[in-house]
Amino acid sequence: MSLPGKRRVTPGVQPSSATVRSQQGLRPAPGGGRGAGKPVRAAATSNELWLAIHLPHYVLESLRRRTAAAQPDPDPGTATATVVVDMEGGGKVVCAGDAAAVVAGVTRGMALNSALALLPGLHVLARDAQAERELLKAVATRAIGFTPRVVLEPPDAVLLEVRGSLRLFGGVRRFIAQVRERLQSMGVAPLLALTPTPLASLWFARMGEEVALRSRDGLASRLARLPLACARWPEKHLEPLAAMGVRTIGDCLKLPRDGFARRFAPQMLRALDRAVGCAPDPRVAFVPRERYSVRRDLEPEISDTERLGRAAGPLVDELCSFLELRCCGVDVLDFSLLHRDAPSTRVCLRFAEPTAQAGRIAELLRERLARTELPGPVRALRLRSGPLVAARQEAGDLFARARGRSTSVPQLVERLRARLGTDAVYGIQVVPEHRPESAWEKGDILPGRGHFPPGGHSPFRPALPAAERAKGNVPSQENVPSRENVPLRPLWLLAEPQSLDGREHPRYEGRLEFEEGPERIESGWWDGRDVRRDYYVARTAGGMRLWVFRERRAEGRWFLHGVFG
Amino acid sequence: MSSIDDLLRHPGLWRAREQGGATSQPTGRPTGYVALDRCLPGGGWPAQGLIEILTDRHGVGELSLLMPALAALSHEDHGEGWLAWVAPPYQPYAPALVACGIDVRRLLLVRAQPAEWAMEQALRSGACSAVLGWAEFRDRQGLRRLQLAAEQSRCMAVLFRRLADGNEPSPAVLRIALESSRKGLVVHIVKSRGGQAATVQLGWLDPAAHAVAH
Repeated sequence: MSLPGKRRVTPGVQPSSATVRSQQGLRPAPGGGRGAGKPVRAAATSNELWLAIHLPHYVLESLRRRTAAAQPDPDPGTATATVVVDMEGGGKVVCAGDAAAVVAGVTRGMALNSALALLPGLHVLARDAQAERELLKAVATRAIGFTPRVVLEPPDAVLLEVRGSLRLFGGVRRFIAQVRERLQSMGVAPLLALTPTPLASLWFARMGEEVALRSRDGLASRLARLPLACARWPEKHLEPLAAMGVRTIGDCLKLPRDGFARRFAPQMLRALDRAVGCAPDPRVAFVPRERYSVRRDLEPEISDTERLGRAAGPLVDELCSFLELRCCGVDVLDFSLLHRDAPSTRVCLRFAEPTAQAGRIAELLRERLARTELPGPVRALRLRSGPLVAARQEAGDLFARARGRSTSVPQLVERLRARLGTDAVYGIQVVPEHRPESAWEKGDILPGRGHFPPGGHSPFRPALPAAERAKGNVPSQENVPSRENVPLRPLWLLAEPQSLDGREHPRYEGRLEFEEGPERIESGWWDGRDVRRDYYVARTAGGMRLWVFRERRAEGRWFLHGVFG
Repeated sequence: MSSIDDLLRHPGLWRAREQGGATSQPTGRPTGYVALDRCLPGGGWPAQGLIEILTDRHGVGELSLLMPALAALSHEDHGEGWLAWVAPPYQPYAPALVACGIDVRRLLLVRAQPAEWAMEQALRSGACSAVLGWAEFRDRQGLRRLQLAAEQSRCMAVLFRRLADGNEPSPAVLRIALESSRKGLVVHIVKSRGGQAATVQLGWLDPAAHAVAH
């Protein structure tokens, strides 16, 4: 293998065939452009550092991730060996196996029957391309926490540009350790390699060489030792290369550029240039999903809601770390409980404000599950988030008084609604309207989401200008309406006017005595609910004050409409 | 030269122990009715602990009795304290509440049966400055829990019960029985921690005339 330094010296000195070859070698000389694909040192890529995350066991890991994570790691000695078969290929050939299977001699590409002969108790799973894509996206989503530039490299790798993140995470070694730890916590065993170019990192990682090269000086020489298999070129090109005795990347780099491109594929030449950092390697950054959706199979099936709540715990945790990375919250969460025979049960959680707190979500979920009737055992859980909402970041307050008041209102409302139902908790507001029953309406509780009229005073007595007095500006006598010309309104209103006995004089626990009245309310002809009433304030013999009216239409019956509490 | 006491009285000085309602003197919240304030220890509704109002019928002035204090509370705390009404017997009428000076945007209405759980949640949440509940308590345990929650919160906790319940012992800080007469409302203070039993003739209540200065 020739080193770059040697090659640079050789042109012109030794006009041997070897020299000519190296002159036009794939590895471009910095001095000038020779050969067809004249490489330009890409300035844009010069400052980058790429970490490749390669998942050698992605087929198995993607399937494991789907089943309940609650199970402890299977002990290789006792657990049944597991293999994965590709159903698209007829399900005949083993395409991945776990450690126990490998120990027993099951290899990739082995016929399933042979594997079964080796291990009669073999556990066989069907490969799931969807799950594999999901796994890769999940890894990329986790990686977003380390750097904003994440690139998917299907089917089994993710690339991270990490130059700017190293200092934050405490250097290369600690950074890699943290990435590894985070990935392992989600149940994958990654191979990690760090170099200045994405392709080189990927190739090292694929070959299981966990290098950490910060400069590109030694990159070509380290790359040269890698076998060609790392590049995953098509078999039809690899065979002739092997026949030529070209087995490593280094061998390839020594071949003439134009001839290599003509004989094999221009893409392969470009890949080599990109790997050594002589050609720019633009990549499309991964954009994480803006909704969260995950499904988890439960094995064994769960039929009591308490255990179900516990099984959903990891899902909620995952959701919350997903939200945290985006500084987002959700206000709607949709849990589907899938049954074997019955249609799935839906549990929809609505939060009074966007949240990303696992504890709060789990508490609400438990509350709701406790009230849910299951038609049968649950075999899978599916969690879907509503649209993500940018979370409001609350700063803490030094003063204890201000804290813990309206911030905890949404939580109180949520808790009450979870148990009592959404309709059971509400606010009220005033509507400018003459008909007493239309002068108020139910409103949303939370400020900023409802449509409250901005403060304001009712024109009705008792017109206590408390707010004004609170501000210290007691209104002058002229401005306060005199008591006589302001109509009185009761604190309690009956949902429906209650019919009273008595024709000329109403009765309620005895004869009523009128205190004030009549106040005529005649309104609403335009919407078909028009009223024509004379309202009176009346007192019962027992001392209650009532708000009664006499219908002015028809026979003039009496009704009780309110109570002065 | 100013003494340390003068310095401590400086309005810009904030002392940690005065925060969070940790002040020790038992001041009450003015009821808005001077005759009643005089008979209550602390000169008003107790700031902590459960208040029981015993009445058999609605409409004798049981709400008007509370209105001045509630109006004051709804504007306290920069308007952040909520007024929770749990299981009210009728619909609270927004125009009349506004007329009493209550900020109805701070009202939280809860339909709950039984009311105990919702009342306790509201008290413990720390989100409310007043919790009103209409409930019939059969067990002493529930009442005790409610009283504890009321004691721990900085919330005005009012429970409306029937007159007959007045015969049973109760952990409430203040119990008053309402009686309506020809001359208006008569308030019997049945039990008052730190105070004495008394009877106050209040007449016909008009909350408009009884603002609480705050």
